[in-house]
Amino acid sequence: MEKLSKTSKLYLTFVMVVLYAPIFFLIFYSFNSGGSMTNFKSFTLTHYKAIFEDDRLMVILINTIIVALLSALLSTVIGTLGAIGIKSIRNRKFRNTILSMNNVLIVSPDVIIGASFLILFTMVGIKLGFLSVLLAHIAFSIPIVVIMVLPKLNEMSNSLIDAAKDLGASKRDILTRVILPYIKPGIFAGFFMALTYSLDDFAVTFFVTGNGFSTLSVEIYSMARAGVSLTINALSGLVFFVTIILVLGYHFLTLRKTKGVRN
Amino acid sequence: MSENTIISFDNVSKSYSDGTVVLKNVSFELERGKFYTLLGPSGCGKTTILRLIAGFIEATQGDIFFNGKKINHVPANERQVNTVFQDYALFPHLNVFENVAFGLRIQKISETDIKRRVEEALKFVNLIGYGVREIQEMSGGQRQRVAIARAIVNDPEIILLDEPLSALDLKLRTEMQYELRELQQRLGKTFIFVTHDQEEALAMSDEIFVLNEGNIEQSGTPVDIYDEPINRFVADFIGESNIISGIMEQDFVVSINGKPFECVDQGLNPHEKIDIVIRPEDLEVTTVDKGKFVVTVDSQLFRGVHYELSTYDEAGNEWLVHSLKQADVGAKIGLNFDPEAIHIMRLNESEEDFDARLESYGEDPDEK
Repeated sequence: MEKLSKTSKLYLTFVMVVLYAPIFFLIFYSFNSGGSMTNFKSFTLTHYKAIFEDDRLMVILINTIIVALLSALLSTVIGTLGAIGIKSIRNRKFRNTILSMNNVLIVSPDVIIGASFLILFTMVGIKLGFLSVLLAHIAFSIPIVVIMVLPKLNEMSNSLIDAAKDLGASKRDILTRVILPYIKPGIFAGFFMALTYSLDDFAVTFFVTGNGFSTLSVEIYSMARAGVSLTINALSGLVFFVTIILVLGYHFLTLRKTKGVRN
Repeated sequence: MSENTIISFDNVSKSYSDGTVVLKNVSFELERGKFYTLLGPSGCGKTTILRLIAGFIEATQGDIFFNGKKINHVPANERQVNTVFQDYALFPHLNVFENVAFGLRIQKISETDIKRRVEEALKFVNLIGYGVREIQEMSGGQRQRVAIARAIVNDPEIILLDEPLSALDLKLRTEMQYELRELQQRLGKTFIFVTHDQEEALAMSDEIFVLNEGNIEQSGTPVDIYDEPINRFVADFIGESNIISGIMEQDFVVSINGKPFECVDQGLNPHEKIDIVIRPEDLEVTTVDKGKFVVTVDSQLFRGVHYELSTYDEAGNEWLVHSLKQADVGAKIGLNFDPEAIHIMRLNESEEDFDARLESYGEDPDEK
């Protein structure tokens, strides 16, 4: 890579500081033994301890993780098959239309998606709670998985399919022995993206959740509304760390893959 | 259809829904155990024929027979044919061993048999010990061999090769030509090789089919096709050639630019307009007074084995000459050639008529 000039380095540092400062500020005060975010008294882990001692919070944490894992898993299955379906559409116009409809779902505001799901669920009569949140999360994750898997599918040369057929493979063999192994990196990427989107999501969940069921982001929001407590900081800090670990994990996974290719 | 016929095409046409016709009423028969080459420029329909045999596409019209059985609608995965693809189409997620074993695993063959057969196939292509390597670790020539091993391991009756050498550098390509030819002879299987490279075709084939715009222009042994091209297209496509219009004055006399020359062809109509081919290597550079005609050297290229001279006669026709000796650009030189060097091509002659005409020369006691 070309060496960056001093000004561009400075600019980059500035941007990063601006982006990360609020998060670090928040995490910094999560270790404050004083009760507020104005003056730092001394280092403590009591706020973190408070999280783990709060049973309600622990239940919410577990809920969040279950919803995230389940929705990511199911949306990965549906989205991968969907991507293969989109790819196999011969008519270009039709394929592009479907693809655009997929992309519209990704860029459309969460509030609208959340509101429309709320209307749908109440109309169909699905009780608002775990199931409604899970369904909504699966729904908004599918387009993301499709977008992550499609490039891998497009990259795959058609002659691989021909070669498999030529060697006697049935349609099922082609799917399980050629296509799925080939697009595996895309599937993993889609799964991780779906996971983070689900963990992150506030707006959609806020709409479709009901009494007695909550996820972390919704809970943090209501705690913040209720008043200042450094437990929020500690909780946000934890979520941030988990996210970092996920990103790093994904990074090393892909790094190993590209290294393998280069050798 | 003789007993030895393995593949036969009966008036096969292929067109696509957008109206493009890629194959026009093609008929031919291929014998078991021979090395065939489909040769032609891109878009001539050679790969289409290959894909029809492999079963990736279906013919619009006509029938295709395999061992005497019609196979028009037999899907690709049920045909005893394996293909070596142009881009090799090796599975990047599998290592060399698993790539070769792919077809065997689908047939649910026992693990010990798979191991034995894969190793045998790898030995055949000189890749012993490479089984555990990843495809990404293999060079172009090695990938080529893996692709061949993957095709032969299934013991198919026919092996199709779709321009498999085009991605290799010149030296490796020449090496692989020898290897492929030798491999075909050791296996005794039918090879159908598609290429646009006439040198490859001439070097390896038992029989060449020259295709153009969805038609077979000429078929025959490499020597036949090189020495006796049927028309301008074939003469131009196979090797370097000087093609020039002429008039067949009478038997054994042809006139070029109004000047009569002795030749060995006969049986054509007197004063018939014809095309004449003289290969550049059949032209001999000599002094102006000794030459059958005189040309001016326009430019010259050193080709390693010989010099390639581009010369022009008085009528403005270009003559390519391969000469071992250097000539002076701008100088006048004489060109000499034997009567046998002149090859006559009738305009719009069909392949049957052409073959019959050549045959009749052989029967003639006066010839040569």
